[in-house]
Order: sequence, then C-alpha cells, then structure tokens
Amino acid sequence: MWIYEKKLQHPVKIAKADPAMAKIIITQLGGPDGELGASMRYLNQRYAMPNDKVKAALTDIGTEELGHMEMVASIVHQLTRNLSMSEIEKSGFAPYFVDHTVGIYPVDANGVPWSAATIQSTGDPIADLHEDMGAEQKARKTYDNILNLCDDPDVRDVIKFLREREIVHYQRFGESLERVLEGLNSKNYYAFNPAFIPKK
Amino acid sequence: MNEQKSLLSRIATCDFILTETALFLDTHPDCAEALAFYKKHLDMRKKASDEYTEKFGMLRHEDYSGQNKWQWTEGPWPWEFEEV
Repeated sequence: MWIYEKKLQHPVKIAKADPAMAKIIITQLGGPDGELGASMRYLNQRYAMPNDKVKAALTDIGTEELGHMEMVASIVHQLTRNLSMSEIEKSGFAPYFVDHTVGIYPVDANGVPWSAATIQSTGDPIADLHEDMGAEQKARKTYDNILNLCDDPDVRDVIKFLREREIVHYQRFGESLERVLEGLNSKNYYAFNPAFIPKK
Repeated sequence: MNEQKSLLSRIATCDFILTETALFLDTHPDCAEALAFYKKHLDMRKKASDEYTEKFGMLRHEDYSGQNKWQWTEGPWPWEFEEV
C-alpha cells in the first residue's frame, strides 16, 4: 500500500507566472510520455514479473513517478498564480482556462486528456521492460524539448532534476531487463514470454 | 497463523484504524477524543512494526538497519498467493 509524505522530492519555487509555459509543461502530467502514464505503466506491470529484483525496481520507480506527478502539477500550479484575464487571453491559456480555470487536470500540451491507451502492460516481462526503457527515453526527450523552450531558471532547475531521473530510471530498467534475460530457460533463445505458459 | 503473519495482521489493523481516524481528523482537527484515539493506536502500531522489522525485515526502505544485503527485493511480494 501507499503512504503520503507531505513534501516534494525536489523543491518547486517559481516566482514568475507564465501560463504559456504551464500549457507546455502540463504534458508531463497528462501527456503520452508524462509522469501519470509512467507511474500507471510500472505499477501495473509488476504482477507479471518473474524476478523479485525487478518487482522491487518497478515498485520503487512507479512510486517515485507518483512524486514526479506532484512536482509537475506544482510547477503548473505556480506558473498560473495571480493571472489577469488579459494574460490568460494573450498567452493561449484560455482554452484550458474555460474548462479547468487554474485547477490541475491531466492533459497533454494540446489539451487531450490523459489516456491509458498511451501505456501498455503486456503480461510479457521482456516486452514490458523494453517499453519501459523507451518510455524513459521519451520522457527525457520531452524534458529536453521543454528546456529548449524555457528560459526561467526557477522552472529549468526542476525540469533538469526530473530529466536526470529519467536517465537513472533508464539505467535501472536496462539492468532489470538483464536480470530477466539471465533467468530465462536456456531453450528460450529468442526470449519469448517467460511469464505465461498455458496449463496443459 | 505464524508469528510473521500475526504481526503483519496487527500492523494492518492498527493502520486501518489510523487511516479511518486521520480521515475523521481531517474534517474535525480539534476533536480531543479522536486525537487521543489516534495517538493510542499510533503507539501500538509503532511497537508492532518495530517488532516486525527486527524479526522479519523491511516494510519500507527506511526500515533498513545495516544488514549486508538489501533484503527489500526478497519475495513473496504482497500480491502473491501463498499456500498457508
């Protein structure tokens, strides 16, 4: 089960509002390579894993991603403080505002709501871990693109931290895949699903 | 029931009482009776979880106490079916 701790993993303190940037960064909450999808992907994949070390890695990384959701939401929240109606209209934030005011709702940068269709849990540990490595690279790519679009040092500090975590998770998933491959039956040369063998 | 399962069950019972009481306290933060009830079960929980982690290992990362192996990865995991 889960327990909430009343702190952020890395502090978020953004002095200057910027609704246009909020509209971009919210994709890391509700977009296809965002933190909500990451967490749901890893925590749901755990049950098919044959290796205890990999169950631990998915549990711990999936849990950390829940904390990252909270950090991204905190960035968006702070970027949309004390806005005037003219700032909302000029920044392109109005389409989000009309449905959600300045509340937090998981959408991508185009306003498309988060969908479980952006993740997989295949029941095949090898397929899943390859997806997970891809997912970490895709999230790192989004953070790189945000850094290319964003000049505010207060925002960049948090985005750089989150970007580094994607890199570390990618390494751990690579090792997790090695652990699963090491444990395969020697006849399973092509690494077919070791987690489901139909009952005879 | 073996000792490990009975301790885990005691922890789960305390935790459920703590969860229920915390929810009540969220909307009644000054209720002295609920605060005392929370404290009583928090102490029981702490006693049970200290005993559990000393005898059977980690419930969370922070329960690590210097062993030469990261016992966190050892199964069974909570979702796994175990024959009694």
